[in-house]
Amino acid sequence: MLEVKNVSKVYGEGTAKVVALNNISLLVNEGDFIAVMGPSGSGKSTLLNIIGGLDHISSGEVILDGKRIDGLDENALVDVRRGKIAYVFQQYHLIPSLTALENVLLPLTFCGANNGSQKALAILKRVGLEKRAEHKPSQLSGGEQQRVAIARALVNDPSLILADEPTGNMDRKTGKEILALFGQLNREGRSIVMVTHDPEIAGYAGEVVVLQDGQIVDKISQKGGNKC
Amino acid sequence: MKLYQLVVKDIMRRKKRVLYASLGVVIGITTIIAVLTIALAGQTNIYGQLEKYGANLMVMPAISDIDIGLGGLSLGTLSVGENYISEDKLPEIRQIADGKIREALGIEDEGNIVTIAPKLYVNTKINGTSVIVVGIAPQEERLVKTWWKVSQGKYLEAPDEALVGAVAAELLKLNVGDAITLNVGEATITGILEETGSNEDYQIFVPLETVQKAFDKEGLVSSIDIRALCNACPTSDIASAINENMAGVRAIAVKQIAETEMGMLDKVSRFLFALAAITLAVGCFGVVNTMTTSVHERIKDIGIMKAVGASRNQVMKIFFYEAIIIGVAGGLLGYVTGTLLAYIVGPLIFGGVAISYAPQYFLPSLALATLIAVIASVYPAFRASRIKVADSFRSL
Ligand SMILES: Nc1ncnc2c1ncn2[C@@H]1O[C@H](COP(=O)(O)OP(=O)(O)O)[C@@H](O)[C@H]1O
Ligand SMILES: [Mg+2]
Repeated sequence: MLEVKNVSKVYGEGTAKVVALNNISLLVNEGDFIAVMGPSGSGKSTLLNIIGGLDHISSGEVILDGKRIDGLDENALVDVRRGKIAYVFQQYHLIPSLTALENVLLPLTFCGANNGSQKALAILKRVGLEKRAEHKPSQLSGGEQQRVAIARALVNDPSLILADEPTGNMDRKTGKEILALFGQLNREGRSIVMVTHDPEIAGYAGEVVVLQDGQIVDKISQKGGNKC
Repeated sequence: MKLYQLVVKDIMRRKKRVLYASLGVVIGITTIIAVLTIALAGQTNIYGQLEKYGANLMVMPAISDIDIGLGGLSLGTLSVGENYISEDKLPEIRQIADGKIREALGIEDEGNIVTIAPKLYVNTKINGTSVIVVGIAPQEERLVKTWWKVSQGKYLEAPDEALVGAVAAELLKLNVGDAITLNVGEATITGILEETGSNEDYQIFVPLETVQKAFDKEGLVSSIDIRALCNACPTSDIASAINENMAGVRAIAVKQIAETEMGMLDKVSRFLFALAAITLAVGCFGVVNTMTTSVHERIKDIGIMKAVGASRNQVMKIFFYEAIIIGVAGGLLGYVTGTLLAYIVGPLIFGGVAISYAPQYFLPSLALATLIAVIASVYPAFRASRIKVADSFRSL
């Protein structure tokens, strides 16, 4: 469903030039769970941003369902963000002034949907937070905030979820729960690309891609993949 | 949840910030509303006076101040001229005034047209307090002073009757039926006037001849009030005709005074208005500043919103909705504080003018405030809409 073809990303110019991605190719198929690993600064976040159209590439192609999305202008990219692809970030990135429910409603608001409260509540329930709907992010624990962020990602029913170190700010136990949740989403048929350092990931991901200095240095296929 | 609901919810949780952001608008609208309200009160006051006195002229003795001196040394000024007008001049004044009106309105009738009310002012002591006693022609005076109302007793008729101004009656403890001594004469109080707010309140009115006799001023008057038929009557022409044709007197039409006052008011208002406009412009920069800060503070939020599907237009809309709320809040607050300011400062500028709030400025002030807030938000909103998601997260 998504293909990254010979993509490079260069930041800055001259002496400040940084090659964040160096001629990378990657294929994400329907229902895949791909883990992206690698040292800090190796280009993992950059790769994820480029897959989701949050950043522009310097060269190469990004193809989503047969259509190139690199080089699309902002207005066209909005449609990508509203539909097939959703994001989950390490820092949750919830809007602090809005309640959990309102944060989940946000994508629907931007789509112009008038009333999604029922839907949003159902999704909050699904991530186990129906009792926290009226709480602000500051009143929630890290694990709970990440669940809200996942609920927000799910509200538009995306087929591909991009997660950048979603368990990076959590203790092991909470991280495990969140990973399990992603595992569930994957089993529903959603593709997932997740940047992570979590060794537990091996139990879920069908493929592990290792990045170094903007290049893929290893690709490990795991036959079993998503266990449980 | 609609987009505007999102903005309202967000703003309700940041009330203080919004209030702070609207401060520039508040200050601008405050000054504009204060100036407009005060100017309006001044104008209303002058129009009110015109309505009341517009048909009137005043004739006074012509007195001129002359510099006296030896060579280049000035020894001060000397007032030259009489302090009184002789009653003999009344017929000539009537002739000029009636003639001008006949001419202007095409009246053939030979009867009297204008009301001529001569008066004589003297300073005397009653019950040990110094007051001004005014000799008047009772019937004519009543026609000129259309606003007079007798609060106690009745209007004066007989030569030995007196009418007392409201404040004078209170100060001198005078009641209807009391007798007062006027130099060598005497009079009985028949009525007390309702307060008028002018210096008439401090005066005592007695028939003209009684005052002339009592103070030995037979045949003399201090000034003459003339009331023409209508507000549209050529009072200014009458005044100039009197000034041209008669010696020793000076006539002035109330309209001329009102015009001068109006001109002054106009100049003062314009000056104040320019100041208010500058304040508003400065306030505008304030809004640009706070909006820019707001964009900066919310780079991350904007990035989040874009990441979850906000388009550029929606981001701009968010800031414009916010601007509208800031504008309406600022306009409301500015209208209220501006009106209050007018109530405090107005009387200081136009001594004693009664200020009344101007509801007709309410909606325009909201509209102006909103317009300013929106215009001031154009650039910040544009900047916000250009924020790149990836950059917004990294900048933190
Ligand atoms: N906006 C940017 N400007 C300049 N350099 C950047 C920018 N974003 C990322 N980089 C650089 O690109 C490289 C890859 O960054 P990133 O994708 O965030 O790595 P990772 O997520 O693997 O830690 C790093 O060297 C980083 O410093
Ligand atoms: Mg990273």
